[in-house]
Amino acid sequence: MHARTERPSRRRSRSLAYLPYLIPGAVCFTIIILVPLALNVWYSLNSWKGGMSPMRFIGLDNYAQLLDDAKFWASFRNSLSMIVAMVIIPTLIGLVLAAVLFDYIGKHFGSRTAATLRAMYYLPQILPISVAGIVWNWILNSQTGAVNTILRGLGVTDPPNWLGSTSTALGSVMFVLIWIQIGYPTVIFMSALQRVDPELYEAAELDGAGWFARFRAITVPQIRPETFVIVLTCTIAALKVFAPIYVLTRGGPESSTLVPSYYSYLNFFDKSKVGYGAAISTVLTIVIIVIAGVIQVFQNRSARREEEGR
Amino acid sequence: MMKRRNFNALLAAAATTGLLGPALSACGSSGSSGGGSDTFTIWDYESDDSAMGQAWARAVEIFKEQHPEVTVRIEDQTFEQLQKNAKIVLTGDDVPDIMEYNKGNSTSGQLASQGLIEPLTEQATERGWDAKLAASLQTTARYTEDGLMGDGDWYGVPNYGEYVFVYYNQDMFDAQGLSVPTTLKEFEAVCDAFVAAGQIPLAEAGSEYPMGQLWYQLVLAHADRSFVNAYQLFEDDVDWSADPIKAGTDKLVEWIDKGYVAADSAGLTAEDAGTAFINGSYPMFVSGSWWFGRIVGDMADKNWDQFLFPGTELFPGSSGNLWVVPTNAKNKELAYDFIDITLSDEVQAILGEKGGLPVSGDPSTIEDDKTRTMTENFAQINEQDGLAFYPDWPVAGFYDQIVSAMQSLINGSKTGDEALADLRSAYDEGKADMGIEG
Repeated sequence: MHARTERPSRRRSRSLAYLPYLIPGAVCFTIIILVPLALNVWYSLNSWKGGMSPMRFIGLDNYAQLLDDAKFWASFRNSLSMIVAMVIIPTLIGLVLAAVLFDYIGKHFGSRTAATLRAMYYLPQILPISVAGIVWNWILNSQTGAVNTILRGLGVTDPPNWLGSTSTALGSVMFVLIWIQIGYPTVIFMSALQRVDPELYEAAELDGAGWFARFRAITVPQIRPETFVIVLTCTIAALKVFAPIYVLTRGGPESSTLVPSYYSYLNFFDKSKVGYGAAISTVLTIVIIVIAGVIQVFQNRSARREEEGR
Repeated sequence: MMKRRNFNALLAAAATTGLLGPALSACGSSGSSGGGSDTFTIWDYESDDSAMGQAWARAVEIFKEQHPEVTVRIEDQTFEQLQKNAKIVLTGDDVPDIMEYNKGNSTSGQLASQGLIEPLTEQATERGWDAKLAASLQTTARYTEDGLMGDGDWYGVPNYGEYVFVYYNQDMFDAQGLSVPTTLKEFEAVCDAFVAAGQIPLAEAGSEYPMGQLWYQLVLAHADRSFVNAYQLFEDDVDWSADPIKAGTDKLVEWIDKGYVAADSAGLTAEDAGTAFINGSYPMFVSGSWWFGRIVGDMADKNWDQFLFPGTELFPGSSGNLWVVPTNAKNKELAYDFIDITLSDEVQAILGEKGGLPVSGDPSTIEDDKTRTMTENFAQINEQDGLAFYPDWPVAGFYDQIVSAMQSLINGSKTGDEALADLRSAYDEGKADMGIEG
């Protein structure tokens, strides 16, 4: 405030100097994000089959219909399972894995071993999702899959129908997602750990703190910023997850693994109900923006607290 | 949609990657399709070694001889890719001159009603395509303004056919001392004999089309043409709580209870079922002629054969996919010429010889026994107007509904009546969406 009242003109010109650099980004953002988003919202207010067929404005009818659509609600319930499988469990496992690799494996077996293991955990992230999905489809196949072949070999006469039964399909999909996700937090956490001052650990060790005490008191709080990044990106990924569902179950059996993005896609392409599909994706977008906003607020609060040394 | 090729999981993968960069990838990869009047662009998704692939390769040769000044550009697509992206791709300027596309209300019908493909009625009469195609084959070629098949303008031209029959493993039949059944009762007796011997009789797949086709076949066994016209063409109301749907569904539930179908098949794909039959894990596979070439090749060392599903005169089946001409195509006249060539005796004869079920021509000249039997059976079905199309055709999005209902039945999570109630509401909703009074 002070600076502004003292030298308003100079301040102003300096603050505008960066503007030209924002133009390319702003143009791309408008073309790639804003315009399609606005179009999507517009479509959601219409009844439209797509293509060159006529559009009929129906206001909020599509949204009203969504309220009564059991499948729509089921798909959002499944989103919660996706958050468990893509955010909560992988972040927890990744945290422990990173700490063990960095602290124990790295120290006792050398950093090369730790790096190799880290790369192996990360491998599923590199694999195209369709390939990973198809491989898991083979492994979990009820009749010819490796899992059930092994189970039968162990004497299980009626092994579970992993992807084909409503009681196990969601769990199986969650398991595959956890497998895919683990590498991501592990790698980020490991690089975060390298940033932590080793003197902190040494001091704690001198004070007689055991591994778990150090993990809790130093590791976890020190890497909080990275944790927020992981939670934010993974939550968004979990809410809009599409490809694994498409390759593993196509939302089945009996909609037990349906997620909003796949449901929207079904309406867009299979049913040619473009307006309805657009309404679903608009709702999904709003949910993602709100949740991402909430996480950001928490992150900012935590960062402020850290700055204030609390 | 119900009729999917025996494309395997990897094809789905290709489609998925295509989908993830939605539409953009399709637009991008299509390159400069038009490129002016001297380039003629064809999009199809038949593999080069299939009967269609081989016949059309010859058609392209003939086309080049007739139009030496034209560069022909053939672009391979995948079935799923076109299925999902066509509506977007065809609104642009960068479209093929001719394209293979799936037939039915929810596919070609949709494109026709959206104004994305060209009406061909004038060409069909002028060039005599209407005389070459049997009545039940023409059904899939014509669509009303609302996209309902069977009436209105021609929007596509098929030049091969397809239908569902029973593939069986002769060795497994012989081991149980069984012969080919000729009635539904005999068919059940054969199945009972296999069950008694600890063998599940039917290779099935709940997560894709095969189970839905078996359901529809059992409904057809209790139905007549008026039911098909009511169900597929909306000529009359369909009573979902009465026969033939009730009888067919009850029969299917009975078959599941008796163990004719594996209890763990709800999550299996068509590829799983077909491969299991080919491996000799099951004695019978009720599926379509699109498996024929694959089974001939992969079961060369096994003793297998085919028979028509017994006790019915109606069979799931239809014309093959259609040649459609996009509204924005630049070389429409050339496209009509090409269609003409694919219907010529020479190209049709190649289709027949390779097991591709030609729509015109004489099956008796085919040399291979199995191919001739299949083609003659198809000709016979056509003669008795026995093609009943596919169960998911009437309304858009019905494929997923049927898959879901069949999974419920296999898993025993719903009764036949409950599954039918679900199907009925989806069917009625789809009809209402098309503006048809229920």
